[in-house]
Amino acid sequence: MSSTGLEAVFLSSRDRLLAFLRAHGAGDAAEDLLQELWLKVSSAPAGPIAQPLSYLYRAANNLMLDRYRSQQQASKRDQDWTEAATTVPGQSDEPSTERRLIAREQLRLAQAALDALGERPAAIFRRHRIDGVGQREIAGEFGVSISTVESDLRRAYRAMIELRSRFDEG
Amino acid sequence: MAEDRHDMETAALDWVIRLRDPGFDGWEEFEAWLAADPARAEAYHRLATADQDMAGLLAAGLLAAAPPVPAEAPANVVPLRRAGFTRRAWLGGAIAASVAGLVGFGMIERQPSLYQIETAPGMRRTVTLDDGSRIALNGGTRITLDRKDARHATLDRGEALFDVVHDEKAPFKVLVGDATLVDVGTSFNVVRDGRVTAVQVAEGAVVYNPDSEAVRLDAGRRLRAVDGDPHIELAAVAPDAVAGWREGRLIYDGQTMADVAADLSRWSGETVRADPRVAGQRFRGVLSLGRDHDVAGLAALLDVDVRRSGREWILSPRTP
Repeated sequence: MSSTGLEAVFLSSRDRLLAFLRAHGAGDAAEDLLQELWLKVSSAPAGPIAQPLSYLYRAANNLMLDRYRSQQQASKRDQDWTEAATTVPGQSDEPSTERRLIAREQLRLAQAALDALGERPAAIFRRHRIDGVGQREIAGEFGVSISTVESDLRRAYRAMIELRSRFDEG
Repeated sequence: MAEDRHDMETAALDWVIRLRDPGFDGWEEFEAWLAADPARAEAYHRLATADQDMAGLLAAGLLAAAPPVPAEAPANVVPLRRAGFTRRAWLGGAIAASVAGLVGFGMIERQPSLYQIETAPGMRRTVTLDDGSRIALNGGTRITLDRKDARHATLDRGEALFDVVHDEKAPFKVLVGDATLVDVGTSFNVVRDGRVTAVQVAEGAVVYNPDSEAVRLDAGRRLRAVDGDPHIELAAVAPDAVAGWREGRLIYDGQTMADVAADLSRWSGETVRADPRVAGQRFRGVLSLGRDHDVAGLAALLDVDVRRSGREWILSPRTP
């Protein structure tokens, strides 16, 4: 689908997207945000888009997450996190600051939190969160029911998210 | 809307997970859920952005593959009752304390696959692992191995030479103090003494803490680190001087007398201590230790006085 095709879908789905932004709490800013959404989508490199409506919904969802994020106070710890987490393994960095020690501890805590879930939930989490495999396919791979995959993922995501929030609180 | 907060969090989390599915198309259902209560969007945004923030961590290579098939335990080992604690002994500090309740101590009880091998001071032995890797233990040394993961060892204390069969897909890892060493080659020596970790590489290379400092040590390099101290000392070492202890040759190029005393203790089985006045004194040279390992006979070479005090040997300043 070309960008003109995408535009056609955007225009015909305008009201639905607006409702979606409002459901996200956009309020009076919904119209402006829709405009912003279109600017983002239309300036993105145009590749083939298989499901344009789903693509637009996802872009709208990301836009609202970005908005939420910018409304939150960017704490110092966030910076610590990002810088530390983007260290390239194998690269010979000069070790020194406290920042690295914190990062090291965070890495270990996260690994420990995942290990503590047990092997299957940890493995299922990896397939879903890192490899991007869908739940149905994972259920097939592991020979378990969808509801087992769901409950494993719930536990794993919760553990990781809770850990992440604790880092913020420091 | 009198929705239980916990239920709402769970529902929000489910949406975070469902939206991550590559083929997700339940947008209208999602919208209906959000629209029913403004608090839901708040909960969803909070969880979804926290999940996004995990990406950096996941990219840092945190989540290594699941451990491989269990291996049989070598004979002559000590089962570890409170397994896992040594590996997790880093638990400390404000962040750790705040998550202790979250992670729980379940993991401490959860690792019955760990076992330990220990040598008495003055004794040496070599362990061969299932993959052919060999670990030579100097005296006074304890290592913890994992039956489920032959590519994993913890040096609890003492000194060990790791001759590792290199496997690109499953790098051999040594945990020591609060650091991790990952082999990139074959042969390296590790000393753990109190809070001090010293690594010497004879062949190949080792990466120190690949997830944080990521210091690469090639053959002929050595590293010294103290727990809790971010400063790491790097220096050269002659590759053939690494683990000379196996042949009774201790080779020094500027190590402190405290280090020499610790080496002598492990090697000889006698307790050797450096008097504080000479502990920082540097030594260069080779000590050849025979079967009778007479510590007193090393005095002239070390340029210290060696005297007996109870059951200990004390290295002290030379008296003119």
